[in-house]
This record gives sequence, structure tokens and C-alpha cells, in this order.
Amino acid sequence: MKQITIDPVTRLEGHGKIEIFLNDKGKVANTYFVIPELRGFERFCVGRPAEEMPRITNRICGVCPEAHHMAATKALDALYHVEPTPAAKKIREMFYSAFYVADHTTHFYALGGPDFVVGPDAPPAERNILGVVHKVGLEIGKQVIDARIRNHHVIRTIGGRGVHPVAGLPGGWSKAITKEEREELEQIARQNVEFGLFSLKVFEDIVLGNQEYVDLITSDAYTHRTYYMGTVDANNRVNFYDGMVRVVDPDGKEFVKYHPKDYLQHIAEHTEPWTYLKFPFLKGVGWKGFVDGADSGVYVATPLSRLNAADGMATPRAQEAFEKMYETLGSKKVNGRYEPVHFRLATHWARLIELLYAAERMLELISDPEITDPNTRAPITATPDEGVGCVEAPRGTLTHHYWTDERGILTKVNLIVGTTNNYAPIAMSVKKAAQSLIKEGTVITDGLLNRIEMAFRAYDPCIGCATHTLPGQMPLEVTIYAADGSIIERLRR
Amino acid sequence: MKTLVLGLGNPILSDDGVGVRVAEAVRASLPPGAPVDVCELSVGGLRLMEHMLGYERVILIDAMQPGRGEPGTFRRLSYTELTCLCPTQHVTCIHDTSLVTALEMARRMELPVPREIIVYAIGVQDVENFGEELTPAVACALPAVLDAVLQELSISAQKEESHGLT
Repeated sequence: MKQITIDPVTRLEGHGKIEIFLNDKGKVANTYFVIPELRGFERFCVGRPAEEMPRITNRICGVCPEAHHMAATKALDALYHVEPTPAAKKIREMFYSAFYVADHTTHFYALGGPDFVVGPDAPPAERNILGVVHKVGLEIGKQVIDARIRNHHVIRTIGGRGVHPVAGLPGGWSKAITKEEREELEQIARQNVEFGLFSLKVFEDIVLGNQEYVDLITSDAYTHRTYYMGTVDANNRVNFYDGMVRVVDPDGKEFVKYHPKDYLQHIAEHTEPWTYLKFPFLKGVGWKGFVDGADSGVYVATPLSRLNAADGMATPRAQEAFEKMYETLGSKKVNGRYEPVHFRLATHWARLIELLYAAERMLELISDPEITDPNTRAPITATPDEGVGCVEAPRGTLTHHYWTDERGILTKVNLIVGTTNNYAPIAMSVKKAAQSLIKEGTVITDGLLNRIEMAFRAYDPCIGCATHTLPGQMPLEVTIYAADGSIIERLRR
Repeated sequence: MKTLVLGLGNPILSDDGVGVRVAEAVRASLPPGAPVDVCELSVGGLRLMEHMLGYERVILIDAMQPGRGEPGTFRRLSYTELTCLCPTQHVTCIHDTSLVTALEMARRMELPVPREIIVYAIGVQDVENFGEELTPAVACALPAVLDAVLQELSISAQKEESHGLT
């Protein structure tokens, strides 16, 4: 039984909506990707002690509370002008890498993967993780659940709680890793590396082994040439926890590299009358509308954009996978680095490369003797005033910015969350896919709507996060309107 | 019967946190040593399913989707009704999958899924404004939902007792 038949007025305002308007010839005139907004987040925060933010902001999203916890904790470091101890930094990155393994695993096997494993035109009832398991075997399902459970165990062990971590403090982390825990975590990291390699093999066998899927990935309907953003380490390699934000142009040339605290110098926001959510763009280029190219300030912040913005991966197996992706997709090396890949569906591949990197990074960190150093917190001596904390959330660069009085009471808060960065690119991708797939006389099928959704799904958007909205939930509705305004088709997830 | 009472929702998003409030009240009302675990979560789909593993019975308490019930009213639903209606706020996580799909996957993998899942779905008014307070109508419903959940727990305890006697 379909949910939509029970109550047609369910929570419409809470839905992310894709609206497609056709002209009198039945072609796509325009599309809108509309996200509702919840109210009062800043008002809720102002007047509270800033040190509550790692525990408040991890409540604004049930999908990536760990990312908010970490960005908030780093914002407190900056606010209180305190440098975390070396052990604290390593513990934080270990925790954060486990979160990445769990999150990317879920997206690939439960969300992105079904389109390729079960097929983009399969009935919705089969195009889910059950369909994946049915097609490739229970063993994969078991591996997926095991990967999630063991990494949530790491999150709980290091972060102090299973879902909404509590261990982040200005200048450090409230909990050291014991030697006994270290041994267990090392085992988990090794299992993660194996799982990362296994997942890339699954992708290779099932997706790359099928020319139809390769054609789909490289098709024009899912291609955009834009700027790409990602955090890089001192060697311009991908880093999720810390570094400089680097932006490359559509040809791969570095456009700007800046410290996260300077984000307001580089990012501005465009507004549209049809949505509450703003569209961030590169100030240095300017807003030119929902268009591709070097003259348009639209940028992307996703797994693929992180790889595009970096020169490579910091761990050996992930670097091999990185090179393989760029070589396979026809990217050439210019001035020692690969040209960007513009195929949005390749984001799924990039996500798996990041999964492997996160697993390898866990193993590096947990093998470092310093990670069990009990000195996990630096003393705070300075007066708080203003601080920015930034991490790469799985869905894009996440920035928390807090202002306080001298007592550390919040006076102002600003967040730019992962999906917000991608609002304009998502809107563009939805429109392009719709225009490519819906022609005069096209019969609207569920499979066709799914192919439009695939354009959106590649970004792994989290509307909950983008709107500070309901935790863990992102209902989506696709509506197609005829030229006279009547509804031709409506699909709800 | 190993039981988990699970309050779902966001405690800083007005009425969205009603499930969490009820769970907190259940915890405070349980006698010491009661064979019941209580937890609060704001997750859905796979992560919610994973928290249920190993329990024989799970009582979920969640906000009902606005428009489905008068604020402050509540319904007791069986798992079968849940699979048909999906009426509550948090059981579906579109970011991974629905609880129903997640549980089905767990079943196929022979994981220890609960034998019984009961849902208390509470009508809400405001799930769009950040705040720690419930709206008055929803706040008024708390004692009745708490009583119903506690009764659910004691009824079951009595059944086990009588089963033990026979």
C-alpha cells in the first residue's frame, strides 16, 4: 500500500519539492527545487553559553550530528583562542573518520547504489537496499550493517554517546582513548579498509562493468562545468577534519585558497523569491544565475568536488583509486593535477574513494602512539569573542560561526551547512535532467521521475540540515505541471 | 520480555520533541530494576532499526505528522498499521530508508529484530519553530500518554507473571 493514498495532505510544508513546469508543447519550461524553512534557530541560540553549541547543533540534524558536533567544537577552539592538544586533534579526526565510513556506506548502499545495482527504471518497491541485497546477496547486506554498527560503536566509544556525541570541548576532547580501546579500534579500522576496497570492487563490477551505466554517468544530462570546493591539507590533499578551503575553476586551476575563518570574504548568498533558502556563490566571480561555466559563481561542495579541488588523496590505496577514477573518466593531467570530472553521477564513485580514505586514515591515526596520550585538553586562558569552525561534512563544507560577549554568551550565530552550498547546483542539475528527459509527447513514468531524482540524489542532499529542520527526515515530492497549471504527475517519497 | 521504550524527536524543535519528553517521563516513573530500557533518539531508518536489535518488544513514541491528528490527541498503532500508514514524523529517514524497509532487511539477515513493535503517535501543532517548550495542547497530553505507556508495560508484566504461574 502506498503512503500517499492514506492522507493526501500530509506534511506538505515539510517536503522538499521538485516542481517541473511544462510549456504548451509539453517541454520543460522550468523547474524549482523548493526547500521549506524552519524558524528561530538563531533566536534559540542567542543568550546561551557558547559551549552548549556542540550539543545543540548536533540536534539540528539526525543524519550528520557528528559533523555539527565537530564544526561547533572547532568554532569553540577559535572562539576561546585555544589550540587543542595533539592527542585531542587525533582523537577528533579518528572519530570523524569513523563517521565518514558509516555515512558514505549508507549513502552508497541505501540511496545511490540502488539506481545502479537494481536499475534506474526498477519499481520503487525494489529500488532500495532490499533490492540491492536481493540482487547481490545477503552477504553484502550483512557487510553494510556490520560496517555501520562497528563505526557507530567507534563513535559511541570516542564521542561519549551513540547518536548525539558530547565529548567535544574548546581546546580538546573530554575523553582519552585507552590502550584497550585502541586495540579494538585498530581492528575496526582494518575491517574498514577491507570494506572500502570491497565497496570499490562492487562499484567496479556492477557499475563500471555495465556500459549502459557508464554511458549514464557520462551523459550530458548529468554533466555541469562549475567551480569546485573542498578542504585540503598542506599538500593540497583531501582532508575532512582540518585545512584550507580550496576552490578550483572548471578547468581545474586554483581560483582561491583561504582559511575557513575568512569565508565571508569569499562566499556571498543570492536570494530567489520562490524559496527561503539562500544560494551561496563565489564573491570573486559573482552571481550570474543558474548557469555553468567560469563566469558563473556557482560552486559545488560534494565528495566529487573535494576530489576535484584537491591534488590527490593522503593515503595510498585511496590515491590509487583516485587516479583510477580520473583516468577512467578521461581526465588529463594539467600542471601535475587531473582536470576536474564534471559528471555529477561520478560523485557516487568519489564517495567510495573517500570511504576508503577515511578507513585508511583511521588506521593511520589509531596506529599513532600519541592517540592514547591522556592529555586531551588544553587550558583556556583567553576571553572569548568570535570564532569560526569548519569541517568537510559528507554533504559539503560545513561552517559554524559564533559571536559572544566576554562571558562566552552567544550574541550571534551563522551556519553554512553542506547542502546549502549545493543548492544552486542541485537546482541546475534537476532542471537539466528534466529538460533532457522530458520531450514533447514523453510519457511520464516513475522510472523517468527517478532519473530526475538521480540528478538530485548524487549530491546526497540533506534538507534537514540545510533548513535546520526535522532530524533525519527529508521527504521529497516531485510534481509535474502542464502549461495550464494542472498537475500531470505527483510522486512522493 | 526485554523491552525498549524509545522516544523519537528533536527536543529543541517545539512539539517535535514530544516523544522524547514522554520517554523521559517514563524513565522517571519506572520502579528501580524494571526490565525496561528507555532511550531518546532523533534518527530514522537503518539507525533506528539498529537501536532496536536485541529487544523483544519496542514501544516507539513519536510526533504524528501535522494534519493527521488533533494536537494533544494520540493513537496506539501496531506495527502492521505502521507499515500501511507510516504516520509518524521520524520512522522514515529518506536519507537512508524507512524503518519498515530497514526491519525487513534485518529480518532477512536473521538479525534479532523485535517480535513486537507498538507506536504511540501524538498529534502536534508546531514542528517548525525552534524551542524547548511544547505547545499547551500537546503539553497537556503528556500525562495521558505516559499513563498509557506505563499501562502497556504493566499489562505485559502481569501477563508474564501469569505465564510464569502456569
